[in-house]
Amino acid sequence: MAVSGFEGFEKRLELHFSGDDPIRVSNLGLRLLEFESVDDVLHAVQCTVVSAVGNRYFDAYVLSESSLFVYPTKIIIKTCGTTQLLKSIRPLLYYANLMGFYLSDCKYTRGSFIFPQSQPFPHTSFEDEVFYIENCLPSRLSHRKASFMPSKKSSSQSHAWHVFTASDDHHHHGHPLSSMDSLSPASSSYTVEVCMTELDRTTAQKFFRRPGDRKSGDAAGREMTENTGIRGINPNAFICDFAFDPCGYSMNGMHGEKYSTVHVTPEEGYSYASFECVGSLAHDRDDFVEVLKKVVQVFRPGNMSVAISCALTAGDDVWTRVINGLEPLGLKCRSCAVDDFPAAGTILFQTFTSRRK
Amino acid sequence: MAEGQVNGCHTVEAWSDQLQKANDAKKLMVVDFTASWCAPCRFIAPFLAELAKKLPDVIFVKVDVDELKSVAADWAVEAMPTFMLLKEGKIVDKVVGAKKDELQQTIAKHLASA
Repeated sequence: MAVSGFEGFEKRLELHFSGDDPIRVSNLGLRLLEFESVDDVLHAVQCTVVSAVGNRYFDAYVLSESSLFVYPTKIIIKTCGTTQLLKSIRPLLYYANLMGFYLSDCKYTRGSFIFPQSQPFPHTSFEDEVFYIENCLPSRLSHRKASFMPSKKSSSQSHAWHVFTASDDHHHHGHPLSSMDSLSPASSSYTVEVCMTELDRTTAQKFFRRPGDRKSGDAAGREMTENTGIRGINPNAFICDFAFDPCGYSMNGMHGEKYSTVHVTPEEGYSYASFECVGSLAHDRDDFVEVLKKVVQVFRPGNMSVAISCALTAGDDVWTRVINGLEPLGLKCRSCAVDDFPAAGTILFQTFTSRRK
Repeated sequence: MAEGQVNGCHTVEAWSDQLQKANDAKKLMVVDFTASWCAPCRFIAPFLAELAKKLPDVIFVKVDVDELKSVAADWAVEAMPTFMLLKEGKIVDKVVGAKKDELQQTIAKHLASA
C-alpha cells in the first residue's frame, strides 16, 4: 500500500429542486443554467470541464475529477481526489434560486478514503462533512439523517458507506418530480454506486496511455472503452469518454433519461474504479444484476462495495439477487447493511471480497 | 459568408446556400448543430470561434436545431453539440459532444487529406 497517492474514492452530491413558478419549471429547468454559472460552481470545487454533451433529457459533463449531470430539476456531482465537493452547494443554491428553483432534497454519499489524511476540510471526517452541509442547507429541509454504514470487515481495508440526506416536506404529499426521481417513495427507480479497489493488474494497465501515441484524450478514451469491455456494459448508451495523461479514465454514458458513469485510477497500490448508474426495478430488474456482473468482469476487483438507493419497499429481494449474481464470479459477500432515509428511501450496502485473495 | 468565423444559418434557404458555396469552393465545412439552451454547446463555443479564426480555409456554420428542425432531423442529430464535417456535399466525419481535442484533430485529419 502506497504512503499516499491519488484518491479515487469519490464524494457524491445529489440535489433535487422544485420551482414555485410553473412556467419556470419548463422542460429544461436547471439545464438553462448559464454555462458560466456551472463553471463558477466547478471553480469552487477546484475542477474543470473536460468534455460535455446533452441529449433530450439531461446534460453530462466529464470533469477533471469525475462527473456532473444536470437534469431539469436535479443535479448530480461526483468528484474524487482532494476536491472540496461541498463547496459547490452554496453557489448552486444561489444560481438555482435566481432561476426560481428551491432545494427540496439533498443526498451526500461516499465510501471510505484510501488516504483520509490527505483530505482537506471539511472532508477531514464525516462529522465535519455533515456539519458543513447542514450549515449550507435551508432550514426548510427539516427531515435529516446521517448514517455510517460499516462493513464489519476484520481486515484493515474496510469499505464503509457514509450517507447524509435532507428533505423538505414535499414528498410527503407531493408527486414524483420525474419518473427517474429515485427519491420519490412511489418510484421504482434505483441508483447504484459501485466502488472497487485492488483492480486486476492486467486490466489496470489498459488505463495507462501509451507513451508517444499522439492521440487526443478523447480518442485514447474511446480506445480504452473498447479494449476494456466497458463499451459492452450498456451497448445502447452513448458514451463520452476521456483518457488522462499518463493514466486514468472517465466516461459518462447517456441512454435516454438514464446516465451511467465510470472512473478509473489504475495505479498499483491504490487502484480504484467506480461504476454508477440509474435504472428502474420495474423494468430492468434482471438487467441490473447482469450489469453488475459485466462491471466485475471488466475490473476483476479484489474488493468491491455496492450501494443501492431505491424506494422503501422496492429493494426487498435486490440484495440476494446481487449476492447470487456475484458469487459465481468469485466475489464473496462480507457484509450487508440496510438503512432507511427520509429523503432517499432505502439504501442497501454490501461489500464483497474476491476469493482469489 | 465570412471567413475566419462561425456563420449562423437561420433558414433552410441560408443552409442550402452555405452547402452550395462550400461545395463550389471545394472547402471542408464544419457544421455545429447547437441550441440556444444547450450549456455543453456554450462550453465549446469560444474554442470553436478560435478554431474558425485559425482555419480560414474551413467553412464553419452553426445550425440551431430549434430553428432548423427539419435539417436536424434529416441529419439525425440526437445529442448536442454535434459537429458534422462535410466535403463536396458529403458527410466525411462527425464529432458528437463538446470535445475540444477530438474536434481539432478530426478537422486536421480532413484538411490534410484535401
